[in-house]
Amino acid sequence: MAAVTLTNVVKRFGVYEVVHGADIDIADGEFVVFVGPSGCGKSTLLRMIAGLEDISGGKIAIGGKVVNDVEPADRGIAMVFQSYALYPHMTVEQNLSFGLRMNGNPKADTERRVKRAAEILRIDELMQRRPKQLSGGQRQRVAIGRAIVREPQVFLFDEPLSNLDAELRVQMRVEISRLHKELGVTMVYVTHDQTEAMTLADRIVVLKAGNVEQIGAPLDLYDDPANRFVAGFIGSPKMNFLGAKVVETSNSAAIIELVNHGGVKLHKPLREAFPAVGAEVVLGVRPEHFFEAGEGDCDIPVKADVAEHLGSVSYVYANAGPEELIVEREASRQRASGDHFTVSIKAERSLLFDKAGARIR
Amino acid sequence: MRTQNATAYRFLTPYLLIFAIFWIWPIISSFLISFQATRTVPWRFAPTFNWGRLIGDPAFYNALKNTLLILVIQVPVMISLAIVMAVLLNSPLLKARGLYRFAFFAPVVVGEVAYSAVFRLMFSLDFGIINKLLNSVGIPKVDWFSNVTPAMALIMIAVTWRWAGYNAIIILAGLQSIPEDVYEAATLDRVSRLRQFFHITLPLLKPVIVFCAVLSIIGTMQLFTEPFLITERGGPGGGTETLGLLLYRQGFRSLNFGYASAVAYTMAGLAIAITLVQLWLTRDPK
Repeated sequence: MAAVTLTNVVKRFGVYEVVHGADIDIADGEFVVFVGPSGCGKSTLLRMIAGLEDISGGKIAIGGKVVNDVEPADRGIAMVFQSYALYPHMTVEQNLSFGLRMNGNPKADTERRVKRAAEILRIDELMQRRPKQLSGGQRQRVAIGRAIVREPQVFLFDEPLSNLDAELRVQMRVEISRLHKELGVTMVYVTHDQTEAMTLADRIVVLKAGNVEQIGAPLDLYDDPANRFVAGFIGSPKMNFLGAKVVETSNSAAIIELVNHGGVKLHKPLREAFPAVGAEVVLGVRPEHFFEAGEGDCDIPVKADVAEHLGSVSYVYANAGPEELIVEREASRQRASGDHFTVSIKAERSLLFDKAGARIR
Repeated sequence: MRTQNATAYRFLTPYLLIFAIFWIWPIISSFLISFQATRTVPWRFAPTFNWGRLIGDPAFYNALKNTLLILVIQVPVMISLAIVMAVLLNSPLLKARGLYRFAFFAPVVVGEVAYSAVFRLMFSLDFGIINKLLNSVGIPKVDWFSNVTPAMALIMIAVTWRWAGYNAIIILAGLQSIPEDVYEAATLDRVSRLRQFFHITLPLLKPVIVFCAVLSIIGTMQLFTEPFLITERGGPGGGTETLGLLLYRQGFRSLNFGYASAVAYTMAGLAIAITLVQLWLTRDPK
């Protein structure tokens, strides 16, 4: 087991800088998920930890040892690839043992490791099959098994579930979580799926365009995002953003007017920063934080457009002036398309952002 | 649906007619001719005349021996060379890759007569650059055209020069279809580049290599141009005569179509038999 430390890590492809000085500390045994939209540099960061990409600047240390110039095989890591990267001409058993055999590992030890991995992943029955004779989920297990036999200090996962169907993804997610508990090793996991990030991670690193936007425990990011990007990215369905303007400030609060909702005003208590009167701001409200009319600090009339009934809850896509809001409702309070209803916002269950997207607390 | 099919076949009819007349019929006809004595007028049916002669003909065995010798030596050498060329072409370190691809492929599009003439000049006893180069490193001149062994070597060198690049381009396509992350996984498994080549690249290229080998076997069984033009009609003294050349000599010099047809069917049969054996040997384990 080992901690992983990234210090001011930069990656350039020619003149293009794609990672702009990432600082990330991953504790020994921790499960950290890098999450962000396509092109945010999350896979590049993971490949730099693996040694499959050179580092243009900064330092990467694994287990306290700087590995910038250490060969991938000597870093004590194992990686699970998005496309599984199994050797197509080898059986499952040969796939698992290939690296050990090539390195002259004693036969008995190789067999022990392969057997253990097969037992952990319950793939004993598949050992003589070739990858093309396996389902997507089975292939993924073999890919994870190949990582386990290396007995690495750090596991790296590069979007390992993105090729699986929704049901299998949930199943494999649980298995990876179980594996982490069982092995107790450091795991770094890359995904663009915030649900995967929320369910698997001890801590999440949110990336955008090569910058680390925020690092924190899943619920900390959910409840207390550092900026509008994180607020919008974490959470499904995503947070609603309502255009607003500051009309009055005091030393403990700001009164904002929701500009697209007929001048409805909200008294928003603040602790740290106080925007100027007249400043354009954005109010963030999660779908489940819309209350029944009169229960909150200000009411907004909306018209239901589409309702998605998921059983336990319903999501109502509602029009409110030029803004489309997503409102979560209990299933018993289903709304039909075209219904007019009123939602209420509580100041303490809403977040305020400035025009540039930074959080105003 | 049936009307649609009928319409489609009506449109296909001109092609099918030409195909039947100039492709199917000659195949059937030559098979029938191989059972006829064609040096009498009129031709007469004599089932053992040509096939009997073939079994006892030293010229046939000489041509067969030469053809198989070229096949056994030249094809493996050429395929190996093509694999090396393809790997080099696939290297990210290589600059001006397009130029090399063109250069390797160019021999295929050069006219056969022109290339044969150039080879004759290059390997000429007194004026050829090859003998001059050999001389410059202290090796005595080789008379490439008057001795059987150098003449056979010359044929193999020429065929290899002409077709190695062509096969390299096919193998390159196979190489590029191997996903990069398989190699990355092997790198993480501490498998050296050389071992990656033998344990990953070669096994994954097997279908493409088998395809190239089958094409080369068929091509070599029909080998004609090089022994005809470079070593002057299979010279010296029939030392480089191949089955293709024997067929030509019998069919178009002696006008013995029956015997030439028997040789042609023997060539085709051998090519099929060797290819089947090769496919069986390189089959995927179940």
